[in-house]
Amino acid sequence: MNNAEVKIRKETKNKIKVDFERTPLWERIKSKVLNMYTLKKVVWYLFRFLLLLGISYIILFPFFSKISSSFMSKEDLVDVTVRLIPKHPTLSTYQAIIRDNNYFVALGNTFLLSFVCAVIQTFICTFIAYGFAKFKFKGNKILFLCVIFTMVVPHATLSLSIATKFKFFDFFGIIQAISGNSINMLNTNWPLYILSLTGLAYKNGLFIFMLRQFFRGIPDELEESAYLDGSGIFKTFFRIILPLSGTMLITVFMFAFCWQWTDNFYTDMFYSISGPTLLPDIVKVPKSLDTNYAGSALYTAAIKNACGMLIITPLIILYLFGQRYIIQGIERSGLTAD
Amino acid sequence: MNLDIDAGNKRTKKQKIVIDAPAKRRKRGASLDVKKARAGWLFVLPFVLGFVLIYVPIIFDSIRFSFNEMRLVIGGGYQLNFVGFKNYSDALFVDASFVTTLLAGIRQLVLDIPSIVIFSLFVAIILNQKIAGRAAFRAIFFIPVILTTGLIASIDSSNILSSYMDSSTGIDNGTGQASTAAEIVSALDIRDLFSGMAVGTEIVEYVVGLVNNIFNIVNRCGVQMLIFLSGLQSISPAIYESCSIDGASGWETFWKITLPMVSPMILVNTIYTIIDSFTSSNNSVMSYISNVTERSGGDVLASAMYWMYFLIVILIIAIVAGILSAVVFYQRKD
Repeated sequence: MNNAEVKIRKETKNKIKVDFERTPLWERIKSKVLNMYTLKKVVWYLFRFLLLLGISYIILFPFFSKISSSFMSKEDLVDVTVRLIPKHPTLSTYQAIIRDNNYFVALGNTFLLSFVCAVIQTFICTFIAYGFAKFKFKGNKILFLCVIFTMVVPHATLSLSIATKFKFFDFFGIIQAISGNSINMLNTNWPLYILSLTGLAYKNGLFIFMLRQFFRGIPDELEESAYLDGSGIFKTFFRIILPLSGTMLITVFMFAFCWQWTDNFYTDMFYSISGPTLLPDIVKVPKSLDTNYAGSALYTAAIKNACGMLIITPLIILYLFGQRYIIQGIERSGLTAD
Repeated sequence: MNLDIDAGNKRTKKQKIVIDAPAKRRKRGASLDVKKARAGWLFVLPFVLGFVLIYVPIIFDSIRFSFNEMRLVIGGGYQLNFVGFKNYSDALFVDASFVTTLLAGIRQLVLDIPSIVIFSLFVAIILNQKIAGRAAFRAIFFIPVILTTGLIASIDSSNILSSYMDSSTGIDNGTGQASTAAEIVSALDIRDLFSGMAVGTEIVEYVVGLVNNIFNIVNRCGVQMLIFLSGLQSISPAIYESCSIDGASGWETFWKITLPMVSPMILVNTIYTIIDSFTSSNNSVMSYISNVTERSGGDVLASAMYWMYFLIVILIIAIVAGILSAVVFYQRKD
């Protein structure tokens, strides 16, 4: 096309309208969309999307089945035409569990236990991790190896000795020497509080590891400038470092809270029937429900599912609010292997 | 050496910074280091106290119990009788099924670990790309870590309803018969596919096992997935850009860039997976041993079993870490 032939139709300060021969729309779309590159992209996109959808289904299906079965009445469970959606939805299972199994008492006790443990664990682990990440002192590396060691040895390996430790609680015989007897801490919250206070509770090694990686990502200059401005080490920690690490703190708190909430290993170990009612204790068939009939296996399973729903409902609410912090928190921790 | 430095900024007051003589400065620096070392100790003090006062005695007790017989005394306290390696030899030679459970369990876990790591890497790569509803998928994939633990896992493992519902044909045909025909890919299909390839029965069994076990694997790779995700996001986009300018395909980019860059995460994740799956209370060995605990006098026997199991786990971790750290690529950041 020759420049001379271009006919200017309209010209304003920053726009110019020119007549020229355009390729037809269809041709343009064809060359843009109908090629191998786009095709490959679309296929790959669909493949990914379907795959993710499928895996999400695998993850979510147990929850669907839990929810639906917890609303089923006895008739639904013997009715072979009922699969996922109950024909006679009922709330009686929930009512019986809440009434007979002391649900709210268990909820309160577990909430207290989990909340206190999670708060303690969050702060203690932050403290410990900050010490490991930012201060050079003799034995830093060896102590960190000890943390890894506590992470590697499963607590189940030690269950007998942990239980005896807290049943006959003592520091090298000091308490026995003073009061004449060791302290029995079973059936109280103290064993878990003490484990949390010393960074030894469930997966605390992982928390310390994650937080240490996060703190190492914070540039040292930040603290140095704070020190230069006359702020002490602890003031710097509380005023500058902690506000920066809000996401990580929420992440660790949620892990600690949820894992303590659904825990049955420690609660089995530290609490007996005479102890406070906790959430694991409500997983049983309520007295008022009759399971003495042919389909009882399915009915028992449905009741247990209802118990499970009652247990995780608070966690689901918490997760809905906190999930974006968890994902951000883990992404920002910048975990590396060094 | 005294220096007067003017801030030269009209907004702030004129500042005078005095830097002391070198000798004095060194002394000060040393004292700051000492202060910081002390603060470091203070920060890690809770752990040190707990480790020395609680953890070490617990470990020590656990080892001691495994060499003893234990009897509870009625007045309170317990009595130990030293029996040497009796508990260990009982576990190995008297207990009928411990050794077979142990071997089968370890074999199963060793087979599971590569699949968990590879699957989580794969999902992390997909979730790292732009896709509709990415945030929702991430949230869903992370649900098992938070919810399917401990108590809920134990409820799920005995949940016959879930499998009952899952086995139904898509739209209920009224017969109520459990049918496997409607499964998306049935184990039989995979068997057929692989036997056509003539790759050997072990691999076929392995793949079939994986497909049947997919729920379990998906549930166990939440944390690993997020660790990979954080690793993938720390790779500089400039590297990918220069790669695509040089004409590398996606496949080549994966093998030459992504894989080496996330290889430290592969090491971390492999070790995490080993620890996590060996210590999770619903693997066959752990549940077997916890059943032993409930027998009379079984608690010390269980201690001995746990220690043997743990030593094997440590051995496996050492071997895997040794092999992997030889091939891990560390980017030098200068």
